[in-house]
Amino acid sequence: MFKDLDPILHSQLRLAVMSLLISVKEAEFTFLKEKTAATAGNLSVQVQKLKEAGYIEVTKQFKDNYPQTTCKITPKGIEAFEQYVKTLQQYIGGERGD
Amino acid sequence: MEDKQITEKESLLIIQQMIHTAKNEQKDDGKAWILWGWFLFAASILTYFNMEYDWFSTFFFWNLFGAFSIIALVYTAVRSFFTKGSARVKTYTGDLLGKLNVGFFLTLILIIVAINVGVRTPEVTMTPTKGFSLMIGLYAFWVLIYGTALNFRPSIIASFVMWGIAFVCLFINDFQWIMVLHALAVLAGYIIPGHMANREFKKVNRAIL
Repeated sequence: MFKDLDPILHSQLRLAVMSLLISVKEAEFTFLKEKTAATAGNLSVQVQKLKEAGYIEVTKQFKDNYPQTTCKITPKGIEAFEQYVKTLQQYIGGERGD
Repeated sequence: MEDKQITEKESLLIIQQMIHTAKNEQKDDGKAWILWGWFLFAASILTYFNMEYDWFSTFFFWNLFGAFSIIALVYTAVRSFFTKGSARVKTYTGDLLGKLNVGFFLTLILIIVAINVGVRTPEVTMTPTKGFSLMIGLYAFWVLIYGTALNFRPSIIASFVMWGIAFVCLFINDFQWIMVLHALAVLAGYIIPGHMANREFKKVNRAIL
């Protein structure tokens, strides 16, 4: 019996953001926007969803009079991501076994 | 990229692509190695010829290099102060290498001071020849950690070559030959891996574009 894939992570953009953040210490919103090629509005909504799930921390501050948003994955986010990958491996392994 | 539902295979592909993208951010362009390497190489070779043809005092080119280094260090410190937090992404590797650089330069200064104190003291405690052997050993340590953190094999191999040269230097008392070996160590440990890293960096960036 396979576990269900985490619906928060099982979305193209949110998964991309989490995959980027798992590889670094922290990243600016502009970095995430550039690497995912998403629109600012869409990315902002997805970042908010990840924040509400407790998977990432979002820090807003001003740098040289410009707003700067920094995102960082939380321990809960790391755990969820690892679980997601494990479940994904089960699905893909099961598919190959069919 | 949109917020759409995906298949398991697409998920795996996204994870792979994004982790690969983030990893590329951590690639070193090798420019610092190349610059630092050629300066050290030039100082060593010029010191060799200086001793051969007796142009200036023995350490003239090293003092010149030291003055350039201090200017570069002050410039870098001022620049990093004013551009603090400008990096769009922070990595754990970047943090580690930043601390490693501080440790490296402080130890390097300690060895340089030890050489200078040794030269001026009648009961010599550290001769320049032995000091350069220690410096090459320190370069090797730096290169090994850098190579391991960035998973760059040429640097890892080069570090052992540098340690080999450092060991040989311990048994050589002719300062001119120490300068030749120092130049070789810098060539093997900084210049060649630096150019290789630069080539790889350009290749990766071209692939992204």
